[in-house]
Amino acid sequence: MTHPANDLHLIKKDHLTGLLRKLMKTHRLVAPVRNRHGDVLFTAIHDLDAVSFELTEPPQNSLKEFFLPQEEVLYTYKVTGKTGYSFQPSSVEVPATVYFGAHPCDISSLLYMDVIFTRNRRDPFYLRRRRGSLIIGINCNQPAENCFCNATGSGPFLELGSDLQLTDLDDRFLVEAGRAGGRAVIAEWPAFFSPAGEKEQALRYQAFLEARGGFQRQVPIEQAIRRLREGTVPDEIWAELSLRCQDCGGCAYLCPTCTCFTITDRPLAQESGERIRAWDACTFAGFTAMAGGHNPVPSGEALRQRFTHKFRDDVKVNGRPGCVGCGRCVGACFGGSDVIRFAKQVTEERGKGAGHD
Amino acid sequence: MAGLATTFGSGAMTNSINEIERAEVILVSGSNTTEAHPQVARRILDAVDRGAKLIVIDPRRTRLARFAHLHLAIKPGTDIPLVNAMMRVLLDEGLADDLFIEMRTENFHALRDMLFRLDLDEASAITGVPLPQIAQAAGLYGRARKAVICYCLGITQHVCGTENVQTLANLAMLAGQVEKQDTGVAPLRGQNNVQGACDMGALPNMLPGYQAVDHDDFRLKFDRAWGARIPAEPGMRLMEMTHAGANGPIRGMFIMGENPMISDPVLDRVEETIRGLDFLAVSDIFLTETARLAHVVFPAACFAEKTGTVTNTERRVQMIRQAIDPPGHCRPDSEIISSLSARLGFPLDYDSPAEIMEEIAALAPIYGGMHHDRLEKGWGLQWPCWDRQHPGTPFLHKYYFTRGRGRFVPAAHTPPAEPPDSDYPFMLITGRVYHQYHTGTMTRKSERLNRECGKAELEINPDDAMDMGIRHGETVRLISRRGELTVSAFCRNQVAKGMLYTSFHFSDTPINRLTIAALDSGSGCPEYKICAVRVEKLRSKP
Repeated sequence: MTHPANDLHLIKKDHLTGLLRKLMKTHRLVAPVRNRHGDVLFTAIHDLDAVSFELTEPPQNSLKEFFLPQEEVLYTYKVTGKTGYSFQPSSVEVPATVYFGAHPCDISSLLYMDVIFTRNRRDPFYLRRRRGSLIIGINCNQPAENCFCNATGSGPFLELGSDLQLTDLDDRFLVEAGRAGGRAVIAEWPAFFSPAGEKEQALRYQAFLEARGGFQRQVPIEQAIRRLREGTVPDEIWAELSLRCQDCGGCAYLCPTCTCFTITDRPLAQESGERIRAWDACTFAGFTAMAGGHNPVPSGEALRQRFTHKFRDDVKVNGRPGCVGCGRCVGACFGGSDVIRFAKQVTEERGKGAGHD
Repeated sequence: MAGLATTFGSGAMTNSINEIERAEVILVSGSNTTEAHPQVARRILDAVDRGAKLIVIDPRRTRLARFAHLHLAIKPGTDIPLVNAMMRVLLDEGLADDLFIEMRTENFHALRDMLFRLDLDEASAITGVPLPQIAQAAGLYGRARKAVICYCLGITQHVCGTENVQTLANLAMLAGQVEKQDTGVAPLRGQNNVQGACDMGALPNMLPGYQAVDHDDFRLKFDRAWGARIPAEPGMRLMEMTHAGANGPIRGMFIMGENPMISDPVLDRVEETIRGLDFLAVSDIFLTETARLAHVVFPAACFAEKTGTVTNTERRVQMIRQAIDPPGHCRPDSEIISSLSARLGFPLDYDSPAEIMEEIAALAPIYGGMHHDRLEKGWGLQWPCWDRQHPGTPFLHKYYFTRGRGRFVPAAHTPPAEPPDSDYPFMLITGRVYHQYHTGTMTRKSERLNRECGKAELEINPDDAMDMGIRHGETVRLISRRGELTVSAFCRNQVAKGMLYTSFHFSDTPINRLTIAALDSGSGCPEYKICAVRVEKLRSKP
């Protein structure tokens, strides 16, 4: 189970705040916090003593918004002369940031974003946020109601991807230093850490076994991937899912791996404005509609596009699905046309429910 | 409102939104639920997943209609004969709940006599729904152990809107499908606080908590509390005010968060009225078409910039909390009213919204136990909530109807005010689209929403379009007896032949220039859903 290259350490829970306080001297801290209305959200933290972390319940937002903001100014522009424009890249100082308390699904989605934004063309706006990020993950001992990361191969425990990876062992965390960034933290603040032994490794494995048995849903992602690859998903299933989908785009906005964006120019004055990048969703009609109004993707096909991208094309290109099993879309979907229903329906012989067209 | 008040005694959703999930049969009438109330539609879809049967009554083949087990595609404005026919089937097949009628209702004989005179074949011809479908719908609804009726503006925005509602209430009482959990009648309210506005007396004849202004006990209570004399006469209804003309009796108006220059029918008349005022003040978060005509505009704070409560369609009073500061000189509406009142010599001295809520609790018994400290916990409380210990009321009319006995109010078919004829052969239905909200004051500022739907679309049946040589996306002229405008036509099967559908969100296509000011006598609500129009091509191709 344990990656041989990982250094193993322990940190007592009591000392966690102390470590984070040290890190906050040089970094901004983002962590899941329960706000006063009961919602758990990844939040930028200013006062460590005024918040309490929530490390079990999954946050409602993902880390996506910190690397690909919902709306981001890429350039400012000015009209020059009669015909020209001059563009100036926006200058945003993104502080070095510690992302603490990220679950394996969210770390997996960050690795997915790395592929999207850096593999072929290196996206400078993504990189200015991604560089200088330090990821401290935590393994999931208790999967939540809608979780199915076991089916997408992205949890509940993770060996790769974070700088430091924590496992809750009751009064202490087992700490694995997976990357150089993590090893540097341990080297710089050795006072907070003690070495871990075989006993803790055994405890970690026990926690993993219990977590693996703790999923409330069995979602047949692998079979769904196979059906998509074979092209044997019946049209009626797409028809029913499309009929249920209400075009709200909530799934894509919450999805940690949905990285499609649109770029618009927003005039601020007669002769100047901003070029904005903002989240978009392939389920929106306007995502594919042409200027004259014609849409090459007929309504009803958009959802097929979404699932085919995630579970066929991503598997083909990246070797793994574009879904990390976080379950956020399941809780948000108005129509019940979410990924779990999709996977269940395509692996059954026929769709269930109404829908008579 | 008026329809349910006269039959049940309370003009609100009888049950809670979540209860819809557990109904066995759901009858949706005149509601494009997936577009207008997606959260309710979600419960309906969940109920179907659990095995519930879904019946949709709608002239258009909406998304929900396509999802339904049974879609009754009625001719617009024929709801009463359809539901009357369903009730007749219930009587004929012995599916009426005799015990419920005996124990809980009154005036049943009037309904029964009317139904026994009904000719089912004639009803089928008027509504355009085949008799077997009517019988199937009646059987499903009548046999269910728990059934819910959801209705919306497709029922109320007719000259016979009140009778439409009363007829649905008759159906629920006849089948005994009301007064219990997961079973009842659900008028779906659109805006987040339209229920709250009604609750607080934003009605011409009611003081807060549905205490009639012409009832001495109620009025004197408020006279005492406020140290003022409240007129015993009910006030004017919206259309009486905005359609009074340039020399109408009202000389000054204060309009808050409303945009009648887009939302009211016969806009030319509305504009004449508003321009004819001696004084107009408008309070809104953006400079609306109405605000542009005002002498004074108060910039109001939006929902995220103030603290208070909103009351949703299931009578649930919920806290909203200020998250950000209002920009510039914007202030919450309550502060605008308070300062205005002080300048007029009647100081309103409230230190906080919680203090206003305490006064509401003291004066409006259905809000008697609603205090901010209670509402802050959890998801709020549903009225009636009589005192601090009261847990709120998930469903109404347990043990007896609010008015005592439920009253059957039989109604006969009232044809639309303006049926199509040879000059204006099309029936125009107006409604809403998913990506825009009301008069677009807020949603039309979003680039993404405008990209999804940024202009009015006139839906026309492909056969009609073919007959007239209209291509998909072609701009056509739409003309009614009151005005004309140009709009893009889209060929869609959702509308039947002879029918057109469009939305009223767009100020550049102000569809209410065309609609008719025929009013429902009960509520004063205009017949937005039907007016006669004709379509002309802009110019014929050589």
